[in-house]
Amino acid sequence: MVSEEYRGARKWSRNKQAVATVVWISFLTAAVATMLFFALLDPLELLAAFDPDLDIGRQAGYAAGFFFFWVITAGCSAVTAWLVRTAPKRDTKHR
Amino acid sequence: MSTPTNTDRPRAATLYESAKKIYPREIKGRFESLSTLATNVLLGLFYLVPWLLWDGRQAFLFDLPARKFYLLGLTLWPQDFPYLALLLMIAALSLFFFTALAGRLWCGFACPQTVWAEAFIWMEQITEGTRSQRMKLDKAPWNWNKLRRKGSKQFLWITFSLWTGFTFVGYFMPIRQLGLDIVALGVGGWTLFWGLFYGFATYGNAGYMREQVCKYMCPYARFQSAMFDKDTLIISYDEGRGEPRGGRKRSVDRKKEKLGDCIDCTLCVQVCPTGIDIRDGLQYECIACAACIDACDSIMDKMDYPRGLVRFTTENALDGRKARLLRPRVFIYATLLLVLTSGLITSMVTRTPIILDVIRDRNSLYRELSGDLIENIYTLKIINQSNEPRSFRLSVAGVTGLSLDGVPDEIVVAGGGVLSLPVRARTQRDNAYGIMNITFAVTAIDDESIVMIEDSRFLGPTP
Repeated sequence: MVSEEYRGARKWSRNKQAVATVVWISFLTAAVATMLFFALLDPLELLAAFDPDLDIGRQAGYAAGFFFFWVITAGCSAVTAWLVRTAPKRDTKHR
Repeated sequence: MSTPTNTDRPRAATLYESAKKIYPREIKGRFESLSTLATNVLLGLFYLVPWLLWDGRQAFLFDLPARKFYLLGLTLWPQDFPYLALLLMIAALSLFFFTALAGRLWCGFACPQTVWAEAFIWMEQITEGTRSQRMKLDKAPWNWNKLRRKGSKQFLWITFSLWTGFTFVGYFMPIRQLGLDIVALGVGGWTLFWGLFYGFATYGNAGYMREQVCKYMCPYARFQSAMFDKDTLIISYDEGRGEPRGGRKRSVDRKKEKLGDCIDCTLCVQVCPTGIDIRDGLQYECIACAACIDACDSIMDKMDYPRGLVRFTTENALDGRKARLLRPRVFIYATLLLVLTSGLITSMVTRTPIILDVIRDRNSLYRELSGDLIENIYTLKIINQSNEPRSFRLSVAGVTGLSLDGVPDEIVVAGGGVLSLPVRARTQRDNAYGIMNITFAVTAIDDESIVMIEDSRFLGPTP
């Protein structure tokens, strides 16, 4: 018999699991989205088109773009995870 | 009264399942040497590469602020985006290919999560000691020894993480300058942020989350089974040989006692970084690090039993069927990989170091000039993708008598520079009629074979 000390090891609670998954996967997707987006568009040109007086530089532009994408992807993942988990249970007794 | 330990203290969050920390036991063996080698090579590359120089500048620099990527002698521009896309596709396909062939080779030996976790575990071992010492230390009350050991571990971890963050940022801005900036305390806000962000992510992922990342957060761990078949290399316990398991003295004749080869020493479980029992069969938590193979082999050697009770094998081989290396899926992945790789190499080798963009002036269709001339106006963008300044000659063709006005014979574009050139093209009214296709050509003066051609249109009156 393997003692309890080894077996099963650390397990995360469902909430922790959900948060970690949402944060991590949305991070990955946001990173890919940022890469594609800024490969095609220069943040400086974008900024100039919106507000010519705003001069925050490329690096801040990239960062803003990344967090913008991350907020969107995380929001999307979080709502999906929440809807899946809070969906009404299927009634298995009466088919 | 006994000293309170974690277990008899009431748990703050009872909703949580009991959270047991895994203390992977250290093991020596063939695969351990292999994974140490992989860790050293990969981490060595990561920390060393930004310091390499090529022609006096950083050899690998993804200069995001300037929107240029330097790869050895090559300079890539946003226009070279297809290369990046191709490279990503090749990376994904390689992962499929190696997974189909050898299972989770990536997880056990090459994944940054594993590699950094190995480095962090190593630092834990040199400061906190072996597995049993670590377990004892965690249970012990706080005293000077615990503080010293835990403190030096944290010191190593944090220093290493900060250096990792610094190196990471060093791929995106010149690392030598970055180092000087840090010493002079003159680092920009975003630079500092990304460095700390990456450093902290390394610290959390490799120091604390470790196998949880693989178990709960990694998408690859879930979908890799789709690439598996019965001929994929997996780590497996040979149940037929091992069962019935049981402890015994070395002198016992196992045939007489009707025992299998497994002596149930649980060493394979103790060394597992994800805390599973490989004898329960293939589990998605298994990252194929092969620590259990090393552990079992060492025991088999001690018992004078043949090695390989736990080994790299395939499902077909375990069932006594013939194992096939070349299957349709291996063949398909290999072919696709070959096509994409050769495509990437060919297009990179034959890449013209000039980019030419022609934008026709949208404000006017054409202008009539004195002397019966028709004029069209364009803006040309010439990008010199080489690192030295270069002279070009511009020509236009497609309409009889078409000539360029205001264009110097020799157009000089700085190395890695973009030149915006307003161009007026003119021809006699008799030659211009309606919409006509023309082509602009930019030729390098020092090398006539470097030519870039771009199509445009010349508009004339329609009587």
